[in-house]
Amino acid sequence: MSAQSHPGRQRTTWLIFIGLCLFTFVNLMPLLWAVLTSLKDPRDAFTIPPTLIFEPTLKYHIEVWTENDFVFYLMNSLIVSAGTVFISVPAGSLAAYAISRIPRRSAGPILSALFTIRMFPHMLLAIPFFVMGTFLDMIDTYPLLILALVAINQPFTIWLMHGFFLEIPRDLDEAAAIDGCSNWQAFRIVILPLAKPGMTVAALFSLLLSYNEFLFALVLTGTDTKTLPVAIAAFGGEDISSWSLSAAGAIGIMLPIVVVMLLLQRHLVRGLTAGAVKG
Amino acid sequence: MVRWQRGLWLFFLPSFGLLALVLLWPLGYAIYLSFFDYYLGSGERTFVGLANYADLLTEARLWNSMWTTILIAFGSVGVEFVVGFALALALYRLNRSAKVFSVLLFLPHIVTPVVAALFLKWMLASNWGFVDATLLTFNIEPPDWLGSPVWAKVSVILADAWVFTPLIMMVLYAALQGLDTSLIEAAQIDGAGSWSTLRHVIVPALIPAIIFVISIRLMDVFRFFDLIYVLTGGGPGTATETITIYTYQLGFRMLEVGKASALGVITLIVVAALLLTINRGLNKAYRGGDQ
Repeated sequence: MSAQSHPGRQRTTWLIFIGLCLFTFVNLMPLLWAVLTSLKDPRDAFTIPPTLIFEPTLKYHIEVWTENDFVFYLMNSLIVSAGTVFISVPAGSLAAYAISRIPRRSAGPILSALFTIRMFPHMLLAIPFFVMGTFLDMIDTYPLLILALVAINQPFTIWLMHGFFLEIPRDLDEAAAIDGCSNWQAFRIVILPLAKPGMTVAALFSLLLSYNEFLFALVLTGTDTKTLPVAIAAFGGEDISSWSLSAAGAIGIMLPIVVVMLLLQRHLVRGLTAGAVKG
Repeated sequence: MVRWQRGLWLFFLPSFGLLALVLLWPLGYAIYLSFFDYYLGSGERTFVGLANYADLLTEARLWNSMWTTILIAFGSVGVEFVVGFALALALYRLNRSAKVFSVLLFLPHIVTPVVAALFLKWMLASNWGFVDATLLTFNIEPPDWLGSPVWAKVSVILADAWVFTPLIMMVLYAALQGLDTSLIEAAQIDGAGSWSTLRHVIVPALIPAIIFVISIRLMDVFRFFDLIYVLTGGGPGTATETITIYTYQLGFRMLEVGKASALGVITLIVVAALLLTINRGLNKAYRGGDQ
C-alpha cells in the first residue's frame, strides 16, 4: 500500500504484529500443553505450578500404538474414510459437472437444495440409520458407516467440484460436441484430465471429513469397526491417570491431518465453504 | 447443443440415486418414526399421531435444552465473529507475514473435533489442568470450569470459539483479499479515518460473506455434538444439554427412537426458521442501512 512509509502507520503495523504473536501463542496453548503432556512422566504431569522443563520421553507415544488397539482403530478409520471417498467423489464429480454445464436457471435450484441439505441436523439422520441398521443387522459393519458418511459428504463434494468445473471453459465441451463426442466421451477425454487436481482436493477434504467424523461413528460402530475419534474419546475422556498416554494418542491422531492441511493450504477456504464465497 | 445438454441428465443418476438412498429415504423414515411411540429395546411400536410432538413441546427439559442451545449458539457465534473479524483485519493489514499466522491460527480448526475437545478438557481439568495449575501457583482459587452450571456454559462457548473462530477468520480474510483496494484508498484520500473506512466501506462490501459465514455457523452450532459430548456430556445436570445432546440421550440412551425423531424434526424446523429470519434481517439491514 502507498501509505507504508508513514511512521504512524508503521507503528500500528508493529503493534498488530506483536498482538497477533501474543494471541497466536495463547491460542495454541491447549495444543502445546497436550504435546508437553504426551512427553511427560506422570510425576511431571501432576504438579503445581505446571512443569515446563522436564526430561521428555517418547515412551507413551510408543506405548499407545503398540500396547493398545490403536493400530486396529487406525485401520478402521482408513477403511471407512477410503470407502467414503471412493463412492462420494466420483458420484459427486459427475453430478457437479452436469450442474456446471446446464443453464443457470436449472442449476440454481439444485445448488440451493444441496445447500439446504447441509442444514439437516446429523442427529436426525443418525436415528433412522441406527434403527434400520439394527433391523438389517448391520450395526458395527463398515458398509453402514460408509453409507452414512457418504450421505453427509455428498452435498459438500458436489458444491466443491462444481466450483472447479466452472473454471474449465465450456468452449472445450462445445468443441468436443461439435467433433462428435458424446457427453460421456467429452467428459472422460477432455474434461476429466483437467479436473483431476480438483478431484484430488475434493478427495482429501472428504478424507478429512470422514476421518474426523464422530457422531455416526459413535452410534453405528462397535468393537469390530470402532474408528480413532470414538476410541480416543472413550480412552482420554475419563481416566486422569492415563493422561500422558491419551495425550500421545490424541497427538498421533492429529499429525496426519496437519500434513494433509499443509497440502491443501491453497484450497482451504474454498473447501471450507465449498465454493460459495465466490457466489 | 441443447440436445447435448439434455444428455447430461445421466450424470446426475449416481449422485442423486445415492442421495435418495442414504439421505432422503432415512429422512422420510425419521419423519415417519416421529409419529410412533417406539421403544427400540422391546421393539414395540404404536402409532400415536402427533403425541410425541405434543409431549415434547410441553416438556420443561426440551425448553431448557432449547434455551441452552440458543445461548450457546449466539454466545459462541458472537465471540467467533468479533474475534474472527478482528483477526481477519489484522492479517489483511499485515500482508506479508500474514501467511505464517494464518496457518498457525488455523490449526485448532483442522484438528479432529474430539481431539480438540480433549485438548481443552486437559486445559480446564480441575487442579491438574494447565489453567488451574497456573492459577493455583499464584494462589488464585479457580472456578470449577466444567463442574459449575454457569462456568460450564462459558467453557463450552469458549471451546466452540476456539475451534470455529479460525473458520470465520479465514472466510472473512479471503473476502477482504477480494476487495477492490481502490475503494479503500479513495476513502482514505477523502480523509476518512480507519474506523469510518471500516464501517462505511469495508463492512458493507463484506456483507455477503458475513451473512454466509454467520448462517453456516449458526446451523452448525445447532447440530454440533462432538465438543459438548466430550467436554461436559451435557452436564453438570443438564446445564449444557443442547437439543442435539438431548436428542442423543433420547434416541441412543433411552432408546425412545420415536420421540427422538420428533425432536430431530423440531430441530430442523427451528434451524430453518432461524436461518430465514437471519437472512431477511441482515439483508434488510444491508439494503436499508448506511445510505
